[in-house]
Amino acid sequence: MSAAQIAPRRSRGLFATIGAYLPHPTRWRHVVGYMVAVYRREWVGSLFSGFVEPLVVLAGLGIGLGVLVGDRAAEITGGVSYVTYIAPALMASQAMQFGAGEAAWPILGRIMWVRIYHAMVATPLKPTDIIVGAIAFIGGKVAFAATFFAGVLLATGIATSPLGALTMIGVSTLTGLAFAAPITAFSVTQKTDQGFAFIFRLIITPLTFFSGTYFPIENLPEWAQFISWCTPLAHGVALSRGLALGTEIPNAATHVAVLAAWTIGGTVIASILFRRRMLK
Amino acid sequence: MNLSTSNATALIRARGLTKTFGSRTAVDAINFDVRDGEFFGFLGPNGAGKTTTMRMIAGVSPRTAGTLEILGSDPDTDGPRIRGQLGVVHQQETLDQELTVRENLLIFGRFFGIERKEIAERADQLLELFQLSDRAKDQVEPLSGGMKRRLSIARSLINAPRVLMLDEPTTGLDPQARHLLWDALQRLKRSGTTIVLTTHYMDEAEQLCDRLVVMDQAKIVAEGSPRQLIEEHASREVLELRFPEGTSRISKETLDGIGDRYERLAERVIIGCENGEAAHARALEHGLTPESWLVRRSSLEDVFLRLTGRSLDE
Repeated sequence: MSAAQIAPRRSRGLFATIGAYLPHPTRWRHVVGYMVAVYRREWVGSLFSGFVEPLVVLAGLGIGLGVLVGDRAAEITGGVSYVTYIAPALMASQAMQFGAGEAAWPILGRIMWVRIYHAMVATPLKPTDIIVGAIAFIGGKVAFAATFFAGVLLATGIATSPLGALTMIGVSTLTGLAFAAPITAFSVTQKTDQGFAFIFRLIITPLTFFSGTYFPIENLPEWAQFISWCTPLAHGVALSRGLALGTEIPNAATHVAVLAAWTIGGTVIASILFRRRMLK
Repeated sequence: MNLSTSNATALIRARGLTKTFGSRTAVDAINFDVRDGEFFGFLGPNGAGKTTTMRMIAGVSPRTAGTLEILGSDPDTDGPRIRGQLGVVHQQETLDQELTVRENLLIFGRFFGIERKEIAERADQLLELFQLSDRAKDQVEPLSGGMKRRLSIARSLINAPRVLMLDEPTTGLDPQARHLLWDALQRLKRSGTTIVLTTHYMDEAEQLCDRLVVMDQAKIVAEGSPRQLIEEHASREVLELRFPEGTSRISKETLDGIGDRYERLAERVIIGCENGEAAHARALEHGLTPESWLVRRSSLEDVFLRLTGRSLDE
């Protein structure tokens, strides 16, 4: 057959192209179900670390640093004890760590080593369904861990309002997702896990310090404040702290909007890149 | 190329199917039909374009040009619906090591939107069929290579596919595991499943395929049943002469007239002929002194050799 006889492939219309990137209304939930089955065995471990980790972090940083900061705490915190000041911020920060970690190795591993994603794209699942399901599962896992953290904050009296604590779980989950989604977008482009060292050393760890967790963002130079506010953690910290202390949160809607934008933007980009990688 | 059929019962139909990656053409304007209920093979060396063709059929690789119709639909526009009716077994393992044998089937069935109860029933039947029932609750990791491959095939059948696609299903398996797998595939075929496989083993293609195409360098170079291909492209018997010191010094005149045709490989001369014993006698008369020789029936390997001038494992 000569080249002239070969029908060129029809290019898809705009709607079909958009449709290819939209998740199926229900199928992504099967991906969540798969992940739940995989992690069923680790639940006991998760339960344990869920309880113990916040306690260790609070004891170590709150009490230790609190003693160091001493009487000057009030200057920084506006009246409350240092441990009360940092505890809700640590909850958001833990959500970031958790969301980022779950979006790194577990995602890349299912492309490169376990290769289960290759089997999954050969089913009616679209690449977007897989990404949405994977990220949704991470959200669930972050929420699970955040519930323990919130419980500890309530039990220790750091958080005073149960409704506030409940909302904090939502904030932490959204903070976790705001990192999980863009890091998933990064993970689906990687061939080895070497890039993750870069992400964690140069982005995640510095953010823990410069997002208002241990001291107010206002103590930073202006340009650094600007960078901080562009990333999700500062917004998660601001919301979480306000809810725990029961103080008014200026720009609350903006904080939520930034977290949502990172989550949605990251998921869209991750879907596009994952599709490009899997459907060659 | 003559298209042997274009009848209405073709489940898969490709015309001018082409795939390029940058400047490299992986599949070059190929035509083929896979009919309902048949065992269809793509035979060819590694890199011939077999896996790329399979990926296009499976709806996970958009074609560059040509037409492709699978179960009456275009994978470009109807991907999820087509994939719902296919079973795919990849060349590399894609099982989930963190799940048990049975869980691998149960979870996978959900991706097709099948009800849990139905999946559970099918899973138990498939484990039985592939002799994995006693390992149902075990982790995947300690299973042997042959068991893992059988589990992969069982998993690919969880949605009761119209077409089962196998990419190099027995690569890396020991002979016993291969024969066990071949038997299982024959049973499946008898139960009415259409099977498409790629292989670079000519014995596998000969054993299993009703019909096959031979691929080389992105093109289909021959098409037919194994018997037809052998009759058409190879002589009845083959005389192999082995020269460990190399065959380059043997002159064309010496080789002419021993059989119907010959192919010169690095250390072997392969002579196609009606009668191998007689050809051997003639070879000695022509002054050839091979270290060893053998006579065998022609195989698909000889077809491939004849069509491309290379052997499959080169």
